[in-house]
Amino acid sequence: MKIFRIASVSLGAVAKHKVRTLLIVLAIVVGIATLTVIVALTQGANKTILQRINNFGPDAIMIHSGGGQMRGPSTVSEANLTKKDIADIESIDGVKLVSPFQVSLDMPIKYGNKFTTSWVFGVEQSWQEAWRRGASKGEFISDSDNEQLSKVCVIGQTAAKDLFGDANPIGEDIMIENVSFKIVGILKKAGQSPIGTDFDNLILIPFTTASRRLMNQPLYISMARTVVYRPAQVKNVAGQIRETLRENHHLAATEEDDFKILSPEEITKMIKSTSQTLTLFLWLVGIISPLVGGIVLMNIMLMAVSERKKEIGLRRAVGAKKKHIVFQFLAESLMLTFTGGFFGVIIGFAVALIFSFFGKPISISWQPFAVAFIFSSLIGLFFGIYPAKKAASLDPASALSQK
Amino acid sequence: MIEFNDIAKSFTSGAIKTEVLKGVSFKVDKGEFVSIMAPSGTGKTTLLNVLGCLMRATSGSYLFEGHDIETLNDDQLSEIRNKKIGFVFQTFNLLEKTSTLDNVLLPLVYSDIYPADASKKATGLLEAVGLKERIHYKPNELSGGQQQRVAIARALINDPAVILADEPTGNLDSASAKEIMEIFKSLHSQGRTIIVVTHDSSIARQAGRAIYLKDGRVDKEEVLK
Repeated sequence: MKIFRIASVSLGAVAKHKVRTLLIVLAIVVGIATLTVIVALTQGANKTILQRINNFGPDAIMIHSGGGQMRGPSTVSEANLTKKDIADIESIDGVKLVSPFQVSLDMPIKYGNKFTTSWVFGVEQSWQEAWRRGASKGEFISDSDNEQLSKVCVIGQTAAKDLFGDANPIGEDIMIENVSFKIVGILKKAGQSPIGTDFDNLILIPFTTASRRLMNQPLYISMARTVVYRPAQVKNVAGQIRETLRENHHLAATEEDDFKILSPEEITKMIKSTSQTLTLFLWLVGIISPLVGGIVLMNIMLMAVSERKKEIGLRRAVGAKKKHIVFQFLAESLMLTFTGGFFGVIIGFAVALIFSFFGKPISISWQPFAVAFIFSSLIGLFFGIYPAKKAASLDPASALSQK
Repeated sequence: MIEFNDIAKSFTSGAIKTEVLKGVSFKVDKGEFVSIMAPSGTGKTTLLNVLGCLMRATSGSYLFEGHDIETLNDDQLSEIRNKKIGFVFQTFNLLEKTSTLDNVLLPLVYSDIYPADASKKATGLLEAVGLKERIHYKPNELSGGQQQRVAIARALINDPAVILADEPTGNLDSASAKEIMEIFKSLHSQGRTIIVVTHDSSIARQAGRAIYLKDGRVDKEEVLK
């Protein structure tokens, strides 16, 4: 086949002009590697979002006391959810359960002469089902603990490690803001919370104990987690919860919500909005850097055409048609960009692995290979066509007469 | 086989128009060995470029084996150069860093048919010009005379209708020049059509017929043998 014979001419030229080949391949490698790193990072970030939503629960709705604040639970002083609110939400169609809880951030915890800070949650027994998270060892907070205002607690694994190291904490007493609590269980590991904090650095105590003995707010509830039967119901139920709460809180149409409803959808929005600018910037770099590679390719190929005028003239003299010359130079460009693309992906993955070593979430999949393949073909074609056409358009007689 | 009728060629550079060929007419028959003798700077190279279908004439008609060259498109001209014309240049024009054998095979890259025995044929041609032992040498490892012999083998690979040589001995010492002319004579004796363009009358006189060019026109023709 003629096409293979000409392609082998291109291959020969790539092999013979080593410095030129190296320069072009290097330029493309840098471009494609950058792109690969960015694809891996972006995909890693998306995977994290999915993971966080999964942690949050695709069928869950969080209700926070106090409106306005965009991130995290509201401070305790703003708590304004009532028992009636919870009862009304429970009666909404599609709601499986509602688990109210009290939150106190960064409470000082003491065991012997060891100190740490941890989130303290006042919870009911239903917390287990609402969060799909119970005790991995020992017992959970029970209804009777709540009835009796017991001073017992279930400790998260980070807090346990901070205070006890590898020793068994069950049965020990810890001080939470000068109140002594007995550890009855260890909480199952959870990893990151929906807002990206360590969800194992927390301590659970009975709801009633928290309300009266620790936070001194017996009438109000800081948060509640609602679970619906099917994830598809989340949006509808969230809307109804909002209506119910606005009515209960006597809010006029012009007033803003004095609570906040967080659904998986909002979590996604929240995470994405914080990383949007950076993502945009990354993509910009990711697109520009292969383009720069393409410009280097075009530049060097134009030089090659000018250096090889006599060769082009000779090929034309012995019968090469214009399209054969175009094909020869385009094939050269493509061989160079594919080589660059191949090594670029590999180096890109290596760099992405270094990022992941430093804690950045990455994802290694087939997509970067596809992106690199498509990008290097496009660069080869787009930036290679002009030099190739220029080579083919040379007048054979004057090209031959070049010194 | 070749018929030049009143061929003119001029070049325009800005406002200046230079007429190089001013109406050249001659014929070359199949099997002839013709030399075109012209002093340097009298349109020798232009004439060769038009003859070799590397350049179109400004006016006049050029018939090559019955084809009216002026009516053919660029691809068709490429095919004529590929199949019908074997070029031998003054500066050899071999591809550097490429073996002797691959240089000889070059025209076949662009042929529609690549014979199965191409390598054998190329080796045979190199053997015929006395370079059988050097088929894997690169041009820079060969003498000028040897390079020109490779170029002749390359010109023959497609069995062309005519061999077109442009000052084939211009860059060679007298001994090598003699060898090259002997090869041409032997090819002629095998029935090949050969046209040699030269400014050297001693070379021109070795052909069967000489066409003398002067001021862009044919000055005279002389049958030598």
